[in-house]
Parts: sequence; structure tokens; C-alpha cells
Amino acid sequence: MNVILLLIPLSIVLLGTGVFAFFWAIDHAQFDDLETPALMPLSEDRKAPPPS
Amino acid sequence: MSACFHCGEPILAGADYSVAIAGVRQAVCCPGCKAAAEWIAGLGLDDYYRLRTEPSTRPEAEPDFSAWDRPALARLHVRQHAADRAEIVLLVDNLRCAACGWLIERTLGTTEGVHEVGVNAPARRVRLVFDPARARLSDLMRLLARLGYVPHPLDAAALDSLRMKEDRAAMKRLAVAGLGAMQAMMYAVALYAGSFDGIDTPTRDFFRWLGFLVATPVVLYSARPFFAGAWREWRARHLSMDTPIALAIALIYAASLAETVLRGREIYFDSVSMFVFFLLAARYVEMRARHRAGDLVDALARLQPATTERLTESGSEQVGVHELVAGDRIRIGAGAIVPADSIVSIAACRVDESLLTGESTPLRRALGETLIAGSLIIDGPVEACVQRVGADTVLAGIVRMVTQAATAKPALAREADNRAGRFVLRVLAVTLATAVVWTFVDPARAFPAAIAVLVVSCPCAFALAVPSALTRAIAVLARRGVLVVDGDALQALAHADRFVFDKTGTLTEPQISPNDVLPRRGTSVAAFAIAAALEQGSSHPLAKALRIAAGSTPLPAVSDLQHIAGAGVSGIIDGVSYRLGHVDFACAGAQTHDRLVLADDAGVVAEFLVHERLRLDAADALHALRADGASIEILSGDIEDRVASIAAQLPVDKAWARATPADKLAHIERLRADGRVVAMIGDGVNDAPVLAAADVAIGLGSGTALAQAASGLLLAGNRLDELPLARAVARSLELVLHQNLTWALAYNLAAVPLAALGWVPPWLAAIGMSASSLVVVLNSLRIDVPAAAPVAPRVIGKTRPTSREALA
Repeated sequence: MNVILLLIPLSIVLLGTGVFAFFWAIDHAQFDDLETPALMPLSEDRKAPPPS
Repeated sequence: MSACFHCGEPILAGADYSVAIAGVRQAVCCPGCKAAAEWIAGLGLDDYYRLRTEPSTRPEAEPDFSAWDRPALARLHVRQHAADRAEIVLLVDNLRCAACGWLIERTLGTTEGVHEVGVNAPARRVRLVFDPARARLSDLMRLLARLGYVPHPLDAAALDSLRMKEDRAAMKRLAVAGLGAMQAMMYAVALYAGSFDGIDTPTRDFFRWLGFLVATPVVLYSARPFFAGAWREWRARHLSMDTPIALAIALIYAASLAETVLRGREIYFDSVSMFVFFLLAARYVEMRARHRAGDLVDALARLQPATTERLTESGSEQVGVHELVAGDRIRIGAGAIVPADSIVSIAACRVDESLLTGESTPLRRALGETLIAGSLIIDGPVEACVQRVGADTVLAGIVRMVTQAATAKPALAREADNRAGRFVLRVLAVTLATAVVWTFVDPARAFPAAIAVLVVSCPCAFALAVPSALTRAIAVLARRGVLVVDGDALQALAHADRFVFDKTGTLTEPQISPNDVLPRRGTSVAAFAIAAALEQGSSHPLAKALRIAAGSTPLPAVSDLQHIAGAGVSGIIDGVSYRLGHVDFACAGAQTHDRLVLADDAGVVAEFLVHERLRLDAADALHALRADGASIEILSGDIEDRVASIAAQLPVDKAWARATPADKLAHIERLRADGRVVAMIGDGVNDAPVLAAADVAIGLGSGTALAQAASGLLLAGNRLDELPLARAVARSLELVLHQNLTWALAYNLAAVPLAALGWVPPWLAAIGMSASSLVVVLNSLRIDVPAAAPVAPRVIGKTRPTSREALA
């Protein structure tokens, strides 16, 4: 049972990291638009000429 | 007749524009659409047409954006980060689906001088970071307009707007509550397993402290809005929903902590985290729906012009409206919107205040009288002295009032709040009584029994009953393009037995067919060409109808084009000055009102007969409503013949013609006095006060911004056939609400006495509380649109014949 003394603190650390990463992502506008980015992978990334 | 590949409007016979998209030639309706589609294809972005879920908007003539390059104006809207990095947030019209955002990101992203493009499709906002030396703001705005998206710059303050902060904070709280609840649940499972299979006390205590560790941020951080709300309610001496929730959270948390420290029998860290998570999730979805539906900052940005002409000693200059101060003298041209509350200083004029009052009859304003910001000058130019600007204007006051009304809680939720408030008071009394009685009977069992009562009766089921069902209904409707601005509207819609429709613009749209021209001089083709050329830049439904009627005829060049709001347009073609509009504007002396007249200085050139075409989905929608037991009326300001001809094609019980706004208002009030529940459907401009008087006001997405904000429900896609579906959803919302509340009550009546008698062990109480909340949430998820009603494909360009004799 002693292994839980190692694994549980580890899981708490991971949880903290997850929360921190999520907060960072929210603060960097990653979650402001939940609709448009879903379409991004549907199109090939072609380099387009600038408009005339 | 086929539909334009780009904008979805019908293409008239003879129009011959086409573009090659992905190697296939597609027909489009006009040079504007052709240019936009060619540009999109030229950038390699033709995937847009595959991704979009709504047709695009026809690009209108480009407004003049050059004023936006003025430093004084730019200072207010552009945030300068470095010499080559400037940031601006634009509110963009017609941003309808995610594909639009995708298109904007791609096109602007490849433009010279643009560093970053961020599109927020639900909020209709575009954030641009650009190099002012290499890309001018006016050029970027022109690019957007060319694609059919009209940009309105927002204040620099909008960059860190309140709304975005609210959104982000809510998401963080939700994440913490969700992760905390999951972890607490895992530790709780270990404890449950332990209580059945045996667990040594140090391990059990270790897991309890772990539960405390993960539940603490949930209670202290995520649940803060509830504590703040409870504190507000306490200071206002008004018991509502937040108080019982905060009390329950605090008591369960404190009791669990006490049990942990005292090595008691049971802890509830998992239950309290889950409770907080469910409540926050419901609030989050509700908030998103609210943000999506009524946005008054946006309404204000559209209603107020951005620039105006200020008179100086040496002449005049174009300035931003924000630069105006009281005492400035301004000149407002015909057809322009008054930028600030001001007093007419030279020459009387007529104004249209319909945006504010719903009264579209022009009002006369003489010297010394007040012009209200947001109203439209019909004949000008007029000179005025600025009195009040910005937040002090009448317009801003109205917007504030509507904002307050929009943020008020729906009566449905208030009632549930009050019910829960009373319920909690009783539970607290029962808890106290239990503790006191047990103290005398068996002091050792007092604490567990009191906790069991508190936990088993926890108002979660009550607290979740209304928000979870309402949220689900709002989300289901939003997917169908029906935005719920006011939660009460849904309840009223479920009970509405009288549907009153405005005719023009709601049930019908104008149509001019190529045969409906009476040329007095010259040919009909030439007349159409001149008229369409004059109407090139207008988004008025009549202008669209004219352009469609003109078909492929090459349009002559127009100079000195002027729009006179409420009247028509004028312009010079080949040295001849033309006017197009209603009879009294174009030339005096003609009689009829259902025709547009094209005239030059020598007299009438041609007349165009305007027909009304029934909206494609109107008949289906009305039949469905009628089959559902509602009676239907048409309430129109139009003349009898036309109302009768439209009414004849629809399942209508009564049709009223020649109703003034005051008549309409009186009629609605009379119906309500008779005990009818009235739903009013209008497109907004002069229906605004009538909409406000009805039990449920339903606006169309094409209506005016302020009128939309006054509606309870908004048919964003302008599709009337969503109305019967919305009604079905409202009905099922009613049913589910009733079930939820009954369940919560029944559960509590059964469980509380048992707990008070000490027969419910705390672990069973925790399971009961979670299960009762889950039952409520799962029951709410049953709200959906009827399965028999799939999303109908949008039919474009099919016309119904209208009866000619009634219209001519």
C-alpha cells in the first residue's frame, strides 16, 4: 500500500499542472472561439497569393 | 430560375455571371458576388463554400472608410503596441457561421502588413494586429466589406471587455470545479470500498484529507459567485437562490471538515464538489446563450455613426463622434444619422425617429428643437449644436434600460428561487429541530442525524430543476437559429394561443418582375438599368428586388449618388439628374403608392410595379401553428386589398389593414384584456412598441438592432418555420420543469423525515442527494426538437405567384 504514498502526491502534482496549463490557455485566448477552429483541419494549408 | 452560388438570392433570367469554383462553373447573380467569389477562389479558399452552413451575404457598395485613417479617430479605436504593431477589434456584420470566421482569417491573414487575425464567430468580433505603416486600417476594412462583412470598429476598451473577462473567469471556475469533483470522487470511491472491505484508520484519514485538499479550491474559488450572490442577497434582505446554495455548500463543507478532524463517520467532499460543478455548468451554458443573443454594445455600435462633420471657423472637418463635445456645431446631411443629442440651429428639417420610438412617420423639427442621437435626418443638410454626447444621450439611456431588462432574471427562475428559498428555511428549521431533539434523546446521534437531514434534503434538485431545463431548451433552440433573449418568452410561447403577424417584411418580401415596368419615355430595359444603377449600394429589400429585376443589363455609371432616407435615391447618369423613389419624392402629382417612380427633371421616365411575394416558409409555419390550436391574425398598416390578398393565401383567422402603430398597440392590449396570450411577430422597425406590449415578442434577424434587443425570441435565420418547433420545445420545457419540481418535492418529502428519525446513514444521504440531482439533469436532457422535424434544406429562389389584380 505504500505505493499510494508516491502515486497520490504525483497525481496531485499532475492535477495542478493540468489546471495551470488550462488557465494559461484560457488567458491566451485559446478558448474564446470554440467554433471556427473546428473547421481548420478540414482544409489544406495552401499558401495563397496576396489579393490584387 | 436558379440561386446565386455566392449569396443564395435568385438569379433572374438573362443574368450571365459565373465563376469557376474548384473547376466547376457556378452561376452568380451580380458583379458584386462575382467579384467576391472570384477573389475567394483566387486566394485558394474555395473550401469556404464546402464548409459554410449559411449562404453568404451579397457585398454592398463599399462605404467610405477613409475617415478611419485619421489619427484622432484611430487613437480611440486602435491600440498601438509598438511602431509596427497596432491592434483593433471590429464588430463584423453578417458573420453567420464558423466558415465565415475561417474565410476572414484566411483572407486577411495573407494580406500584406497584417500580423495576426483572430475571429470570434459567436461574438461576431474580429481582432486584427497590423503594421500601420504597411497596411492602412481603411484598406483592411474595405477588404472585409468586399467579402460582404461590414465592419464597425469598437472602442479600444473593448479589447479587454467585461464580457470576455466574465467568459474566461467562468470557464476557469468550471474547470477547477470539474477537475476537483473528479478527483474528490476518486478518493471517495476508495473510501466507499474501504467501508465495505475494511480499511485501517490512518489510510482512511489520509484519503479524507486528500478529499479536503481537492474540494477546498472548488469551494473557495469555484463557488465564489454563489457566496458573493448570497452576500448581496443578505445585504438586500432578500432571500433567493444563492443563499440556500451558499449555505448548503458552506455547511456540507464545514461538516465534512469537522468529521475529518474529529474522525467521524462520513465525509461529503465529493458531493459538494459535484454540486458546485453541476451548478456552474448550468450557469455557464446560460451565460453563453445570453451573450450570443442580445448584445447591446453591438446595437449601440451600429446605431451611432462613427464620423460626423464638425463646423469650424474656417470651414468644416470630418471628425469621429467620440471627439464631439457639448457646444460643437455639426452639419448632418440628408439620410445621415444624428450622432449626438443636439439642437437645430439653422433650418428646420424632418427626422425619422423610428429606431427609438417605433414611429416611422417623419417628424418636423424646427429651429431650437432637439434632435435625438440615433434618429435619421430625412431632408437636409441641417446644422445643429451638440448638447449631450456619448453615455449622456437619450439613445444610450434607452440602451441601458434594455440592458437592465435583459440581465434581469426570468420570472420562471425567480419563482423557483423563491420556492427554494422557502424550502431551505424549512429545512434549516427541521435540521435544527432534529439536532435539538436528538441532543435530549441520544446526544451521540445528534450530529450525524442533523448532517443527514441537511445532506439528504440539500436543495440541489430544486436548485438545478429550473436552470438545467431552461439551459437545455436555450441550447436546443440556438442550434436551430432561434435565440432566446428572455427566458420568460419561452413560457409565454408555450401558452400563446393568438399569433399576430406583421405583414410587410415578416410574411412577405417585395418583388419586382421584369414585366412590371411602365416606361413613359425610353425602353423598359433602359429604365431598369438606370434604376438598378441608382440602387446599387442599397441593402433595402426594394433595392434588392430592383437589382434582381434588372438582371444582366450592363449598368451605367452614376455620379453624385445620394440616399435620402425614407424617400429614395438620386444621382446623375450621363449628365441627367434622376430620382427614384416613392411618388411624392420623385415627382408630385401621381396617385398610387405601390409603385416606385423613376423621374428626371422633365418628369416621369418609368414606373415600376411592386409586388409582394409571400415568404417561402410562411404558409407551412402558419399551417403548423394552426394545426397546433393557435389562432392567427395579420395586423398590418397596409391597405385592405393587399392585406386581403396575402391573407387569402394563408390560414389566417382575421386580418386587419390600415392599422397605425397606436391601433396595433390597442389591438394587442384588447386581446390581452380578453385573456389571450399573445405572440407578436414583427420585423421591428415600426413594430417595436407593439412587440413590447405582447406576451411574447418574436423578432426577425433582419430587423433593427434595438428592436431585436426588445424581442424575447429572435429568429436569427429569418425562418418562420422554426416557430412551430420553438413552440414544441417550449411545451416540452414546461413539462420537464413540472416533472423536475415534482420530483424534487417528492424526494424531499420522502427522505427528510427518514433522515430526521436517524434512519438514513450519511453515506446513503450522500448517494440520495447526488442521485436526485442526476435525475433532474438527465430529465432536462430529454428536451429536444421533435424527431419528426429534421432541419429542412433551405429552399432558395422559388417564387409563389401572387394575385396580380389585387396588387396592381
